[in-house]
Amino acid sequence: MKHLVLASLFAGAMALPAMADYTIIAPANPGGGWDQTARTMQTVLQEEGISKSVQVQNVPGAGGTIGLAQFASQNKGNPDALIVGGYVMVGAILTNNSPVSLKDVTPIARLTGEYEAIVVPAASEIQDMAGLVEKLKADPGAVSWAGGSAGGTDHIAVGLIAKAAGVDPTRINYIAYSGGGEALAAILGNQVTAGISSLGEFEAQIQAGTLRLLAVSAPERLEGVDAPTLQEAGLDVTLENWRMVAAAPGLSDEQKAKVTADVEKMAKSENWQKQLADKGWMDTFLAGPEFDAQLAKDTEATAAILKDIGLVK
Amino acid sequence: MGAFDFLMQGLATAADPMLLFYALIGVTLGTAVGVLPGIGPALTVALLLPVTYRLDPAGSLIMFAGIYYGGMYGGSTTSILLNTPGESASIITALEGNKMARKGRGGPALATAAIGSFIAGLIATLLLAFLAPTIVKLALVFGPREYFALMVLAFVTVSAAFGDSALRGLTSLFLGLALACVGIDQLTGQARLSFGQAELLDGIEVTTMAVAMFAVGEALFIAGQRDQHDDEVTAVKGSVWMSRSDWARSWKPWLRGTVIGFPIGAMPAGGAEIGTFLSYATEKKLSKHPEEFGQGAIEGVAGPEAANNASAAGTLVPLLTLGLPTSATAAIMLAGFQQFGLQPGPLLFATNPTLVWGLIASLLIANAMLLVLNLPLIGLWVKLLTVPKPWLYAGILLFATLGTIGANPSSVELGMLLGFGVLGYVMRLYGYPIAPIVVGLILGPMAEQQLRRALSISQGDWSYLLHSPIAATLLGIAALALIVPLILRARGKGQVLAQLAGDED
Amino acid sequence: MSDLQPQTKRRPDGAALVIAAGLAVIAGVMLWDSARLADLGGYSGVGPASVPRVVAGGLLGLAGWTVLAALRGDFPERPPQRVAPVLWIVAGLAVQLLLLHVAGFSIATGILFACTAFAFGKRNLAMTLPIGIAFAFVVWVVFSQLLMLHLPPGPLEHLFFPGG
Repeated sequence: MKHLVLASLFAGAMALPAMADYTIIAPANPGGGWDQTARTMQTVLQEEGISKSVQVQNVPGAGGTIGLAQFASQNKGNPDALIVGGYVMVGAILTNNSPVSLKDVTPIARLTGEYEAIVVPAASEIQDMAGLVEKLKADPGAVSWAGGSAGGTDHIAVGLIAKAAGVDPTRINYIAYSGGGEALAAILGNQVTAGISSLGEFEAQIQAGTLRLLAVSAPERLEGVDAPTLQEAGLDVTLENWRMVAAAPGLSDEQKAKVTADVEKMAKSENWQKQLADKGWMDTFLAGPEFDAQLAKDTEATAAILKDIGLVK
Repeated sequence: MGAFDFLMQGLATAADPMLLFYALIGVTLGTAVGVLPGIGPALTVALLLPVTYRLDPAGSLIMFAGIYYGGMYGGSTTSILLNTPGESASIITALEGNKMARKGRGGPALATAAIGSFIAGLIATLLLAFLAPTIVKLALVFGPREYFALMVLAFVTVSAAFGDSALRGLTSLFLGLALACVGIDQLTGQARLSFGQAELLDGIEVTTMAVAMFAVGEALFIAGQRDQHDDEVTAVKGSVWMSRSDWARSWKPWLRGTVIGFPIGAMPAGGAEIGTFLSYATEKKLSKHPEEFGQGAIEGVAGPEAANNASAAGTLVPLLTLGLPTSATAAIMLAGFQQFGLQPGPLLFATNPTLVWGLIASLLIANAMLLVLNLPLIGLWVKLLTVPKPWLYAGILLFATLGTIGANPSSVELGMLLGFGVLGYVMRLYGYPIAPIVVGLILGPMAEQQLRRALSISQGDWSYLLHSPIAATLLGIAALALIVPLILRARGKGQVLAQLAGDED
Repeated sequence: MSDLQPQTKRRPDGAALVIAAGLAVIAGVMLWDSARLADLGGYSGVGPASVPRVVAGGLLGLAGWTVLAALRGDFPERPPQRVAPVLWIVAGLAVQLLLLHVAGFSIATGILFACTAFAFGKRNLAMTLPIGIAFAFVVWVVFSQLLMLHLPPGPLEHLFFPGG
């Protein structure tokens, strides 16, 4: 028995080259979206031969801000260090008063993204977004929204919807759950009026007919999704929950260009596309100055709405 | 084809010698990593998942199932032998299991844990296979108020097991509740008791706390004892095997543990540890040997271990039927399924029966493999206790810190390990029980969040908590559990109760 | 562990009074902290400050109860303890914490190993220290190289695995 284990461990050792190229920080616990993004990058970077060996390190905590702070301080000028992050980090930096922000790292590219979906249980009397908005206007407290953690993307989206509908965002009755999954259970169990989370969290239920999709937060209709955008429903709200990869601060232009080229090569590979399809992630690759502009715009808009909801002073 | 045919077909596929070999490797690796304190099944599966990528889907699926079960079983082994539970669900196992191990009954304790896990896993997996769609409907009835009532019940029943001093038990519990307040308040995003420290924003990690309280605190306490030979651990006394009376005392707790653990695991916000708490309290109530609780009662190992495993199978119910990962382990399993192109959800059983039944067959086989592998090894495991103390405790601390560093290599986390280790030592010194502080840390936030969610939904109307029949029933049972002992005590039966309550640090 | 019976008559227990004071201090900190939280109770009426206040109240009550128990001598007697071994282990953990990111996992953990062995009676550091470091190094290799668990490397690890 012992020999067996040793043999299999040994076989594992032979398969692994000794050199590590990239180290990717996943600023979250194993299993979450950022961790999965990092581990998918690890697989594709290795299999495509872009990097010989990639290590993933989890530094969980506080919406990714702990990992971000540690990454920024320990890796100045290190071209081999990467960190995964996303829109949630933008909000967490503000709500947690994080001393380190995305300005202190070198954002490389947006990799994937998901749009928010607004749903009600199939048994609900609410048929469309207009019906929900009408109820919200009549009595904001009577409309309970289940979604992810306070101050996260889902909460921000509800704040934006209320604001666009002319309802005071501080008066929304938002019930925070630890994640979209737990919120889903509350929606399916008819515990709340409406639910909001990434479309992917709800997709299977929508297809099975147990949830009714009212609207999505995309700028235009999504292929294969039978629902209007929030803009079509008369609410001027678009929101994308994106995930990105950033490099260490203090890189030279050549170093940055090399990392960007590696990431782009990965993102354009068939392998990566297949992984995205398997996981149901959308390819929203964006790099260079366009990504920087997008990031700046999102940061500004998020700061404004978090103030409106009352989460940031 | 009916469900049964699918299962048979799955089992037939999985019976291939090569696949059995993969299951064996999975179980072995899972046990080896899961044995480390602080590394629970979630991290074990996350670490070993890449190993499975190299295999074909069938082999990868079965190895994955093996790793999962191995990781869970490894955790209880160290809880029993070394009093170092690696995750919250095996804390209760450590209470009685370690007492048994110290009396030379580590063999029976490990055996009842292994067999109980097997039986619970078997029954729960079959329930999962045939009843999942029905069970999930029932589980969804649970909303915030029902969960709150369940938490209250867990609090009340577990408190009854807090040892002979109400003062010290409650103090320990309230310290746990106070520590539970640390971190970002989930419902409003405000930082509580964090004093501007970013590392405190996510609160206190239960595993760090458990490893510190049990492993580090214990090492300090034993080291400080003046006469070290007094507490010499007997490795084996009597048979390594379970005696006839062990069997007689174990089988009912196994079944009851399964019945308690499975539905709680199936609830989207249940949590495996709640099942172990309730099972422990139940066994203590029903036992014919209540005086043995706190001194190494085999029922207190058999029940919670079965509940733990049944609840693990239970978490697969929402995962497979709703695509809803309800625990860290389940979230990683979801990632594991996705690599096989399996998209869990309400249509899964209809659209992808071969894979689902293949998975269920794999789970059954991995479960059996675990038993086959571990029963003969029990003799070897208990030998661990004969390792001389200096090496044993040096090794325990090495692996305890390894687990903490591996999960989160931060100095703050290690500092907490040290700080709580010293706290655990002081608490042991003054006769404070250790379990309540960990229970408070686990249950406190759950109860608070569910209460506040319920009140948010009802817009501040407290009577809403009683309007649901399930919540009202659970609260009623909790009230009875609280009041009946008081009446008994008033009638002069306090002596019996004082005996009932052991000291379980 | 603590199967000692409380004795009937003893003088007030000083240590118990210290514990009571400690509980009161924790309660005070919680009340102070909860006072600065914004009241975002929203529709539930139970805000983020409510539960800490209830818990703090409970701790204050328990502090009072502890004082009573101390005055009545209701606290169990402590098993006699030796301080030195306890300090050795605490020191070992502290050294590991401080050296982990400087000296790497193997050396830091090897020192912890040797300190613990010392506390339990293996006093020969010249033997236990190398054993500890070697053992920790093997553990490091298995976990960081085979299982890809991130454990901080130091000079020793870099010597054998220049890349990792």
